[in-house]
Amino acid sequence: MNQIILMIIGAVVFLIAAPFLGGVLSGIDRKFTAKMQSRRGPPILQPFYDVAKLWHKEKVFANPVEKIFTISYLVFIALSGALLFGGFNILLIVFCLALAHTFIILAAYAANAPYSHVGAERELLSVMVAEPILILIGAGLFMVTGTFMVSETFFASGLPAVCYLPGVFVALIAVLTLKLRKSPFDISTSHHAHQELVKGVTASFAGKTLAKVEIAHWYETVIFLGLIVLFFGGYPVLGIIVALAAFFLEIVIDNVFPRVTWQMTVKSLWLITLILGVINIIVIGILSAGGML
Amino acid sequence: MYTPELLTIFLLLLVPLAAAVLLAVCRPHILRSIVVTAAAVVLIGASIFLAVTAWGTGISVTTASIPWIWTLLFIVELIIAAIIVGLSIKYKKPLALILALIQAGLLIFLEVSGIASAGSEITFTLNNLSLIMVLIIGIIGSLICVYALGYMKDYAAHNTNIKDRRCYFFVILFLFLSAMFGIVLSANLLMILAFWEVTTLCSFLLIGYSRTNEAVTNSFRAVWMNLIGGIAFTGALIYLALADPAADLLFLPNLLSYGNVAAITIPLALLALAGLTKAAQLPFSTWLTGAMVAPTPVSALLHSSTMVKAGVFLLIILAPLFHQTWVGIALAFVGAFTFLATSALAIAQSNAKRVLAYSTIANLGLIVACAGIGTPEAITAAILLTIFHAVAKCLLFLCVGAVEHKIGSRDIEDMDALLVRQPLLATMMVVGIAGMYLAPFGMLIAKWATVEAFLSAPLGFIFIAVLAFGSALTVFYWTKWLGKLFMRMAKPKEERQRLNFSEGFSVSVIGILTIIASAGFPLITKYVIAPFSGEAIGSGLFAIDTIALCGLMLIILLLLLAAAAAGVKSDGRIVPPYLNGRTVNSEGMFLGSLGVYKEPKTSNYYLDEYVGEKKLLKPSQIIALIIIISMFVLGILGVLL
Repeated sequence: MNQIILMIIGAVVFLIAAPFLGGVLSGIDRKFTAKMQSRRGPPILQPFYDVAKLWHKEKVFANPVEKIFTISYLVFIALSGALLFGGFNILLIVFCLALAHTFIILAAYAANAPYSHVGAERELLSVMVAEPILILIGAGLFMVTGTFMVSETFFASGLPAVCYLPGVFVALIAVLTLKLRKSPFDISTSHHAHQELVKGVTASFAGKTLAKVEIAHWYETVIFLGLIVLFFGGYPVLGIIVALAAFFLEIVIDNVFPRVTWQMTVKSLWLITLILGVINIIVIGILSAGGML
Repeated sequence: MYTPELLTIFLLLLVPLAAAVLLAVCRPHILRSIVVTAAAVVLIGASIFLAVTAWGTGISVTTASIPWIWTLLFIVELIIAAIIVGLSIKYKKPLALILALIQAGLLIFLEVSGIASAGSEITFTLNNLSLIMVLIIGIIGSLICVYALGYMKDYAAHNTNIKDRRCYFFVILFLFLSAMFGIVLSANLLMILAFWEVTTLCSFLLIGYSRTNEAVTNSFRAVWMNLIGGIAFTGALIYLALADPAADLLFLPNLLSYGNVAAITIPLALLALAGLTKAAQLPFSTWLTGAMVAPTPVSALLHSSTMVKAGVFLLIILAPLFHQTWVGIALAFVGAFTFLATSALAIAQSNAKRVLAYSTIANLGLIVACAGIGTPEAITAAILLTIFHAVAKCLLFLCVGAVEHKIGSRDIEDMDALLVRQPLLATMMVVGIAGMYLAPFGMLIAKWATVEAFLSAPLGFIFIAVLAFGSALTVFYWTKWLGKLFMRMAKPKEERQRLNFSEGFSVSVIGILTIIASAGFPLITKYVIAPFSGEAIGSGLFAIDTIALCGLMLIILLLLLAAAAAGVKSDGRIVPPYLNGRTVNSEGMFLGSLGVYKEPKTSNYYLDEYVGEKKLLKPSQIIALIIIISMFVLGILGVLL
């Protein structure tokens, strides 16, 4: 019973705290990026000001359906995070994330404009690129710890999962450039000053709708950092340090490779998943079949 | 002697036959409607009755002595061979002719040599798998026949150049159902073979219904590929009969409990090949993609409740034997590879029926992979996949068929704003698509069970990698279709044609079934599948908290849907789409440079240069063929796991 209460507390803490953490991280990201480009950059709390302003704008829609789709997106992203931080089944979290992304893509389709449509297609590609590694993470963690439950993985004793799954871990970090909307520049909807094609998926959103997408993005940032921490089950402090380091690494990657296209991304990330992720899984599989794990 | 179960089985086998005879003579549409509806009601009632009475008992029922039954089956098989031979000569198709003659020769050998001396009673098995199949065939198959009433009326009106042979069409539909009941209920491989051949013939005749050049070519492709399966099946029976005459291996329960599996790996490989051809796995996938020239009810029937499901049914019942051999592992590789390759191929298709066809082949690939692995977990996953695929795929075919008659196209690119133009059909299409790949609906749950089954299987780590990439491809082609339905919703509702009652009814019922089946997966698994497969459920996907959370997701989805239906237009201003600052009118058209309003056009990604048929199909077929050849090598070597 105690365990269930702990799980619910974890989920609730995530639901309340994650937007703040994600928003601050987003602010730091913008500041840091600005410094790297020799600009002054906005204040750290700028993302919150943005969302507050968006929230009070007039309600305009290209298609009213987008309202329900973006709410669904936000709800299911938040639910995925709550499930992760509540310590539930990792595969359920992966599938819930996929469902959430389906909604943001549908919202872009429904917006009915060419830029949105291109954005929807490319966002879809990015979901497709990230999906295999997410499933492999679930499978890999199960092979190493014998459980799908995040709570049990997180409190596992012995060596952290990253020691057995280094390839899967690196592949996750690689896919993170996509998931944190850093690269490629023609899919991402980051805060760089690009044109409409780049804004793609959010190009037709305004006001509250856009604010909801922004908040969902904060949640998502924390979810992915949480996934990194999961690889350091039993060593949470180390995990958090690595997760933050990975976050800053992504910002650097973003600024070093500003003109990566989606074709390059699909090919390179699937190759990385295939080589690092799959071979890692196969090695673990052979080792455990041979009784060496 | 004649228990209620046995009487119901006779009802299931004979009512479709009786309906077929009646339909052959009933010309007027109204009479035909009465016969079809009555037969559908009886079949649905009988299959539910049988499922309820025989649930969980795992009994076999045996008839009194019917000495002439084997002679009758033999004559039926010869008639089938004669029809195929006759049509092959008429249309000058040497390949089908040769294969049909070989098949007939093998059958005559099997009969005349007397090696397969079965008793004069007929035994039927009623385990939970066969009951699930009975429900699928009875309910979904019958509803497809009802749907066909309205559909074929429109079809005749739309295709005036094609001779209206609706009587013939319905006769064969019902023959098909009867044969399917025979396959899933018979306990003797000789009987299954006879019904197997009937389904080959029925699909051949239905695919060729329109008698256009394309239809004839595709129907002959279907028949020669399935004849290969038939020959393999017959060969397996001859081998089994000769291998151990005392053990009577043609009787399924004897075969499944046979101790010396190493001695029967060759017939196992042959039966696996038979299953692969029927289930349209690579390299035999082209017969199913070609089958879409037939009227849509045929596709719905072939893809959901009959034909391809006969293939995977055979493989699932043999799964405990595959589990012990390397033949099974090789079979699983064929399935997993087919899943990956055809999921990629589906991306490049814009024809809705082709997307559905490739998706069917891919999902059957997963079922085949599970059957080849054959652990209790894998069998559970295979049956879940079979159930959910049957319901959702049938729904999608029926929707596409009706939409095609309404909007005049089956191209996904033409399905913009279908939600506004054809609300009922589009809503059901959304249900069907969600049911195929989104959490927490049926197929995703089944795939999840597959992931867990793979993880505990030998070499499962390879299968899991294949599944991970294949699923990603699946997400791509379904989502872009789903998105199309929501695009350009400013279009007005079309009132060109009203939906036939029979079509609307079948589509709605199956749509509701899709949702109910998704919500009921824990019960289905616990009370129906697990007792059959022998899996002790209760962990992973089937842990109580995970099931509860799936339920929570479903509830949230329904609430959001309700919110959407209730108040989506309540407040806020609707503005024309944003086109990068260009002048846009209220309909979303932009002002072109010549002063004329034009519609902005965009289309989905098809990635043809990466996953087109030209690029991918040949190499995939070759790889699959190599795996099948290795399966036979492993079978000849008789290696056990």
